[in-house]
Amino acid sequence: MRRGLIVFGTLVLLWTLIGIVNDQLSGLRVHLFVGGLFVAFAAVALPFRAGFWTVLAGGALCDVGSPLPFGTFALLFAAAQAVLTRMHERLPHGHTIGRVAIALLVNLGLYLVVSFARLRGAPAPGAYWLRALIDLAFSQAAIVLAAPWFFALQERSLAYARP
Amino acid sequence: MAVVWLIAPVALKRFVRASFFEFSAPITLTEARVSELQDYWHLRLHSQRDLIAAGVDLARVDASYALSVQQNAALQNEVARLRQMLRMPAPPHFRLEPAQVARRDFSAWWQRMTIAKGRNFGITVGDPVVFAEGVVGRVAEVSATTAVVDLISSPGVRLAAFFEGETRPVSYQGGVNPSFGPAQGTVDFVPLDISLQPGETRRLVTSGLGGEFPPGLTLGQVDHLEPSGDGLFQTGIVHLNPRLSDLTEVTVLCAED
Repeated sequence: MRRGLIVFGTLVLLWTLIGIVNDQLSGLRVHLFVGGLFVAFAAVALPFRAGFWTVLAGGALCDVGSPLPFGTFALLFAAAQAVLTRMHERLPHGHTIGRVAIALLVNLGLYLVVSFARLRGAPAPGAYWLRALIDLAFSQAAIVLAAPWFFALQERSLAYARP
Repeated sequence: MAVVWLIAPVALKRFVRASFFEFSAPITLTEARVSELQDYWHLRLHSQRDLIAAGVDLARVDASYALSVQQNAALQNEVARLRQMLRMPAPPHFRLEPAQVARRDFSAWWQRMTIAKGRNFGITVGDPVVFAEGVVGRVAEVSATTAVVDLISSPGVRLAAFFEGETRPVSYQGGVNPSFGPAQGTVDFVPLDISLQPGETRRLVTSGLGGEFPPGLTLGQVDHLEPSGDGLFQTGIVHLNPRLSDLTEVTVLCAED
């Protein structure tokens, strides 16, 4: 419970920082989505139950301000966490590079799911996909750059929390 | 879990949603305050000479606006007198509520911004949001201290519009938002007899139909129309104001009874 709350605290920090970055990038019409970072660490470093509620709460935070039905991101994140937990033994989760790779793959999957879900309302699918792919490329690059720092922060926060 | 959430009572879903919304509101407001502080210290770096020059410019603009306000009041009186003569119903009244933009979220999926005012200033869902050069969008969600605005560039936003000088409504929809370029929307159901010469642009304005937005507010500019798939109407791209993505202050039009 305590570990889950600490990891959730880092997710709130990530949500705040990514909001500020997206605000600054709005003039360029570039948007970063880092859903993979919300899921990866909690899925590989926390026990299933604690990780599940943490990821669910992180997803609910992403649902705030989104026009999708409330709970969409929470359920998507929880589903990704469940899949990662099931594949836990086969994933290279011990090293930072492995965790970054997991975050990238999860982010790609989540991004494509949401993009397909939003495609129906788009008036020009070609332009929509072009924009979505550019955003995805920037998002993946942002994860590569930020994930090592963020995982270290989460790891350190958990270490401080140990009695 | 998904099934549990789907069959959960609506009241529970609303409670959870409202809880997370209110939980995130102070963070968003803090961001807005930090941004304000940043601007303040940025302005403190200007020399006194710059500030005096800016003050003089502002005084000139203020004088011209004072004259415009008088002319506007005279015109409004005239409009009210003519409406009374023609026994037309009174147009909806709006209270102007300026608000700071706290957070912008312009993705391929949606285009939204969070403003630093909410129910505490009487803002309600559906209120129009404008700025000096036209329409920004409409309020989509409201919390106690913040509100989320759907921009007119967002694919989900649809409005009835007029070409300036026309009285036949056309359909506006937001949606084409290329990276590194200004946002665009689309206009549909344009009658075939409305034409644009090469190099000509026409202003698209709100129609006022439905009473949500006041009539005559700028949505964007259209410079090209082409026949729609069925050949009965025309469609075109609406070029939205590039300032939409850089706004720091907007005005919410709160409906008054």
